[in-house]
Amino acid sequence: MPTLTIDGRTVSVPEGKTILEAAEAAGVRVPHFCWHRALGALGACRLCAVTVLDGPQKGVRMACLTPVQEGMRVSTLDESSWNMRRSVIEWLMANHPHDCPVCDEGGECQLQDMTVAGNHAVRRQRGRKRTFHNQDLGPFIEHEMNRCIACYRCVRTYRDYCGGDDFGVLGSRDRVYFGRFRPGRLLSPFSGNLVDVCPTGTLTDKTSRFRARPWDLEEASSVCPHCALGCAVIPGGRYRELLRVRADPRPQPNDGFLCDRGRFGYGYANRADRPRQARLEGRPGTLAEAVAALRERVEGIARQHGPEAVLLLGSARATVEANALLSLWARRLGAADPVFDLAARRDGAARIFARAAPALRATLADVRQADLTLVCGADPLAEGPLLALALRQAARRGAAVRVIDPRPVPLVCEAERLPLAPTLVPEALRFLAGGNGAGLSQEVLQPLAETKRLFDAARRPVVIGSAEGLGPDGVRALLALVAGASRPDRDAKAALLLPGPSSFACARLASAVPNAQDLRRRLGGGKIRAVVALEVDPLAEAPPAVTGVIEKAELFAALDYLPTATVGRANLFLPSAGPYEQDGAFCDFAGRLRAFARVLRPGTPILHTGKGNHPPRTFSPDVPGGDAAPAWEILAEILGISGGLSGARAEIEKAFSFLQGLAGLRADARDERVLPGGEPPAPPGAPAGPEPAGLRLLLSDPFVGWEPLSAHAAVLEVLRPEDAVYLNPAELARLGLAPGARARVEAQELSEIRVARAADLPPGLAWVVRRRGSALSRLPAGEVFACRVAREEGA
Amino acid sequence: MDVLDEKTLSELAARVRAYPYPREMVVDVLRAIQERRGWVSDEGVELAAQLLRISPLEVEEVATFYDKIYRRPVGRKVIHLCDSVCCFSRGGEDILKHLEKRLQITLGQTTPDGMFTLLPTCCLGACGQAPAMSVNLRLYGHLTPEAVDRILEEERREVSP
Ligand code: SF4
Ligand code: SF4
Ligand code: FES
Ligand code: FES
Repeated sequence: MPTLTIDGRTVSVPEGKTILEAAEAAGVRVPHFCWHRALGALGACRLCAVTVLDGPQKGVRMACLTPVQEGMRVSTLDESSWNMRRSVIEWLMANHPHDCPVCDEGGECQLQDMTVAGNHAVRRQRGRKRTFHNQDLGPFIEHEMNRCIACYRCVRTYRDYCGGDDFGVLGSRDRVYFGRFRPGRLLSPFSGNLVDVCPTGTLTDKTSRFRARPWDLEEASSVCPHCALGCAVIPGGRYRELLRVRADPRPQPNDGFLCDRGRFGYGYANRADRPRQARLEGRPGTLAEAVAALRERVEGIARQHGPEAVLLLGSARATVEANALLSLWARRLGAADPVFDLAARRDGAARIFARAAPALRATLADVRQADLTLVCGADPLAEGPLLALALRQAARRGAAVRVIDPRPVPLVCEAERLPLAPTLVPEALRFLAGGNGAGLSQEVLQPLAETKRLFDAARRPVVIGSAEGLGPDGVRALLALVAGASRPDRDAKAALLLPGPSSFACARLASAVPNAQDLRRRLGGGKIRAVVALEVDPLAEAPPAVTGVIEKAELFAALDYLPTATVGRANLFLPSAGPYEQDGAFCDFAGRLRAFARVLRPGTPILHTGKGNHPPRTFSPDVPGGDAAPAWEILAEILGISGGLSGARAEIEKAFSFLQGLAGLRADARDERVLPGGEPPAPPGAPAGPEPAGLRLLLSDPFVGWEPLSAHAAVLEVLRPEDAVYLNPAELARLGLAPGARARVEAQELSEIRVARAADLPPGLAWVVRRRGSALSRLPAGEVFACRVAREEGA
Repeated sequence: MDVLDEKTLSELAARVRAYPYPREMVVDVLRAIQERRGWVSDEGVELAAQLLRISPLEVEEVATFYDKIYRRPVGRKVIHLCDSVCCFSRGGEDILKHLEKRLQITLGQTTPDGMFTLLPTCCLGACGQAPAMSVNLRLYGHLTPEAVDRILEEERREVSP
């Protein structure tokens, strides 16, 4: 570790680090534009000039490009480098339009900061400024090229880090232009990162354009609620309106990047049709009335008809605290555990993974550092987008990426794919672990043997699946593979994509006794009289056999902040706070508890109360639409637990030993607490039924359109996929369907019309991508159904 | 096809198949397209992208970086006058003034008869003969106003004797 001094401060950093990194470590800020922690050094802006007083090459040097040496003496205050930085800033400002008053970057602009830091205050340049035409880059990003300083951060982010190919740098000399070939929407699912990395107002968030100055925003450290990865975010809002989401620049867990679903999917919170008032049998009421009614009626029904008459539905998007308190309520009532996931197979898979040894569970950082990654029965871009980005970083470091999946899974890096029917994927995992590959054909075994050689040689392999794609059997095979491969010199890990930000904790809260699995039995018994849906929409996510019972229940209560079908039908409704409107915790896919802090209090945005104008001048002590409370607070009240969040957490820690440490988590410190492993649930007694013969239906999630929060964000609608049914070309021909023809798809007495499309699928599969509100999307995730696809006559 | 004739297209396609990294052929393909009409249209960029299996943007990056690929119609002869340091210090700016006067156009423009387009360029590698310019692919050094007049005359005659 070379030791050097920078502005008189002594610091030791590892060999190979640059002066700029050493300065950061020493707490000396070297002005810079093009250097970026995650993107590295480029040497393009020349702003990071420092003076090397003692060292192999004395004089003015670029701090971001100069490696440290033992005994170096560096000064940032020396006149020569100070003058150089001042000149660089002056040149960069020569063409700048000086439009800071109307620039959304103003107040958090690195160019403003550096202009001041560089002591450039008086304009000397008299000539005309170079100007550009801007492009329409779609609904997310605003383009103002005249503010560009050519630091190339955007291109390095979009192309190198995120793998997009429709945004780049055009022209030469002083005319370099950062944009597209033709105006139009940026196609990368990670396009929003341009907003965070651009140090100027050239690329800004269009969804919050001209809505607030950064210093007027209420911001807090939060955790993204749009999937199970738990990216660290800093949402911002003003006047009771959520306005934007930016990435926490800290490296963990998401390396300072977000996907567009997580960044631009916040509109659900501001919807004009968001249910904000409690409702009792169709009559509006206060939240307090509704809470009292909920407790009395559930307790009354349990007393009168026995606890088996109560069905509690937890959810992957409610906080860990709310789900835990719901479990506690079930215990107190003597009722069965809540059902946290209505899809039994997915639920079973998650419950096994949630009890795996922590050392086997991969984080995003593990994926980025892997030297081999296998993606088996998972679609990372849809189920956990940042994982696809992490895979790309592994690939950029030289890791091979192999995909074993029936679907042509889209990724943002090169990958080799082995198409395999869904039911064969677990067998492939067993083969990689040393099994004999029973049931796998010769043409599959050959590439699989090659993958096995790679896997056996890898030192840090990560195998990625999804609960929905693998099912319980597949997850057991996944865990056996990595457990068998881990040795002291070798770290094999597994990641399992789960449906939502609390899924892991829910799967742990669910006792080892099957609950989703025996839901059918409970529903069939005709005993259910009270149903409580905690931030979940069973009417859109469960098949008619389940929803029929729920709808007929004497008490159908819902807590939510989304205008779902369930909220519309419930006879008791309690408005709950959204994830950015409360303190709480989620638990990510690797089983780490992650606390988040409230950004805004719930309430109708002034934009709506004032209908775009000044809000009405009526005075009341209450916040309009501000009745909503965090679901954990509502449940704590029902359970008689006082002391706010810490009181609730203390009770939760007492009741569930694996949640120990929850109370100590601090959101701003980005604390995390790893859930311990546990005894895995026994394999279900009855073996899975025989494969249905004929055409089988395979359902999977899109990037946007199913995940409940972003599906309620209007700005993301452009990203919704077409309602298609994909078949392999031979199958299409056999069914007499031309690509583009209308086809009726039927399964389990549900049917809908979709556009027939050809795709590279194994024979015998019809693949449908879910959409909220579509009939087939109500079929439980991860199961395979016999289906019929036929041409739909008429228009 | 308007952008490329069938024969050139199939020759290029064959070369693309033989290359391990087809994107390395981007300049060759753009020049072949430019050969036909004198410049590269948007359709030309898209065709090159299709041939090389890269995005149109990636082609456009190269096409707009090199100043000898023309993304707009140009005259029959394109004059590239060097404005880099050696030519600048040896009177390049006076040559520019002279060219502008003779042709009645400024940098970036084409003469009304469609004969000459006048463009600046960075170093032509002819610093020893500064000031220098090129007309299409022909290089001229040691420029003086008289030499420029002669060159323009000859170049014009070559097209319409
Ligand atoms: S657009 Fe922004 S990030 Fe890109 S080069 Fe210009 S200033 Fe840098
Ligand atoms: S990957 Fe998941 S957690 Fe991360 S930003 Fe996207 S939706 Fe949010
Ligand atoms: S940060 Fe070093 S040159 Fe830009
Ligand atoms: S500077 Fe003009 S040819 Fe080199």
